[in-house]
Amino acid sequence: MSLSKTSLLDNVKKQFTFKLKAYKQVFISLIFIQLLAVFFSFNGVGMMGSSSESIEIDIQFYSADMVIIFTIIWAFITAILITTTAYKKDDFTFVTNQLSSNLSNMLFLLTGSIVGGITAMLSTSLMKIIMNIFGGLGYISASPSLSEIVIGYSSTILYILLFSGLGYLFGTLVQISKAFAVLIPGVFIGAGILGAGSLGFEWVKGMYQFIFTEPSVLVFVLKVLVIVAMLFTSSIALSNRMEVRE
Amino acid sequence: MNVIECRGLTKVYGKTKALNHLSFTIEENKITGLIGRNGSGKTTLLKTIAGYLRETSGEIKVFSEKSFNNLMVSANVIYINDQMNFPTALTLREVLNVSAMFYEKWDHELANRLFDYFSFQSTHYYNDLSKGMKSTFNMIVGLCARCALTMFDEPTTGMDAAVRKDFYRALLKDYIAYPRTILLSSHHLEEIEDLLEDILLIKEGREHLHMPIGELKEWAIGIQGLSENVEEWTRNKEVIYSKDIGVNRTYAVVKNNLSEADHQKAKAADLALTQVTSSDVCVYLTSKTKGGIDDVFIKD
Repeated sequence: MSLSKTSLLDNVKKQFTFKLKAYKQVFISLIFIQLLAVFFSFNGVGMMGSSSESIEIDIQFYSADMVIIFTIIWAFITAILITTTAYKKDDFTFVTNQLSSNLSNMLFLLTGSIVGGITAMLSTSLMKIIMNIFGGLGYISASPSLSEIVIGYSSTILYILLFSGLGYLFGTLVQISKAFAVLIPGVFIGAGILGAGSLGFEWVKGMYQFIFTEPSVLVFVLKVLVIVAMLFTSSIALSNRMEVRE
Repeated sequence: MNVIECRGLTKVYGKTKALNHLSFTIEENKITGLIGRNGSGKTTLLKTIAGYLRETSGEIKVFSEKSFNNLMVSANVIYINDQMNFPTALTLREVLNVSAMFYEKWDHELANRLFDYFSFQSTHYYNDLSKGMKSTFNMIVGLCARCALTMFDEPTTGMDAAVRKDFYRALLKDYIAYPRTILLSSHHLEEIEDLLEDILLIKEGREHLHMPIGELKEWAIGIQGLSENVEEWTRNKEVIYSKDIGVNRTYAVVKNNLSEADHQKAKAADLALTQVTSSDVCVYLTSKTKGGIDDVFIKD
């Protein structure tokens, strides 16, 4: 009997198509999480008030920040989820090896980040409509320029991608040893409690500043892309010798 | 061409050796039965062949390539067991469609016909199926993938008698039409022995016997008679199994390489020689002790 031939590229494509179908719950949960975040956002993300003798002004700020944060959490959890044994075994039920399974997962997370980022940004439109109907008096909406929109969308997508890369590495480490499931949150929460910037935890602060306070957009994009590439490459390297077990 | 070549294969889990210096080769287009007791390493062996597990030492080659984490091996091998995972979000029909996308030689028409024959519903989900239905569905995927190396690990778990018969018949028919290498592990040798060409018996992670099934049927012979006569007759022979039956009578099994003199002696001592079925031979060979469960209950 002749043997079937398959190339890595071809297989990654097939795995990716398969995952778009098989992981559809992931997108359903995205919709729910974003709607929930929109709902929470109606409390306003900020408030300002001032009054003089005869005038009182109350200003409430509304933005998609909450939706973006929820989407980031969603991406982080989704990335962890698809590294778990059940999902790995699904891949190996069909044709794959660790490399193509990882590559297709990454393509899937990239797609998820783009979809999540765009819908998160679009949620402002939904909020504007709702505010117009139910909102209070004197509703003013910002009208950003095109370049602001582009920067807004791309940086949102990149943040989401960054956290999905982080989640993916975290999930991979947990698959290697369950000890990491305790160790990694322990280190981060511990660093938070002990206070970043003291007791040798400067690196937490440094890391935060390195990524989140970058003034140049281009440098920010480059930084995030390099970090994401590093996260995914280390996940691939770590899982390439891993076995598929129960 | 050898499909599987295995030399000194060892797989260690923690402190237990699941596979212990296993060596064998399996040729193209043969149906081989993998027989062994619970915990003898059958599943570990099959998973190593499928490339899920990495060998601790030794060498395992499938289609002349190392099997672990190998895309070519994955494309040409299908491993069906009773703990298979299918994506939970996909309906049964969608699972078949996805399989068709991955497996180059997938026969979609046959899959659909088997799907209807076993009255599966397109909109049902795999996880909602009963144990026997899951096994039946696994079998459809395993057969229709037409992989050059097809491995079934306890494929009939939970199936009722009728479906089991259907399965063996379907397997044979499809094998005849599209010959391929098949590895079949089962506890029910008597059910599958008509299907098998070869048998690979493993015990404690080692290869114990590897021979055509026809030879196995002749491999051992049973002898029965008065205990002292049986004892006398089997003195210089390797007794594979012995059991007391009734008062003063013993049944023993020895390897079937008897000389003419042995036959005459047996006749003189009024001993009856009987054939031993291949499944009994397997049970006797793989048992860890000489006695049986009865000995556990003898207190003295």
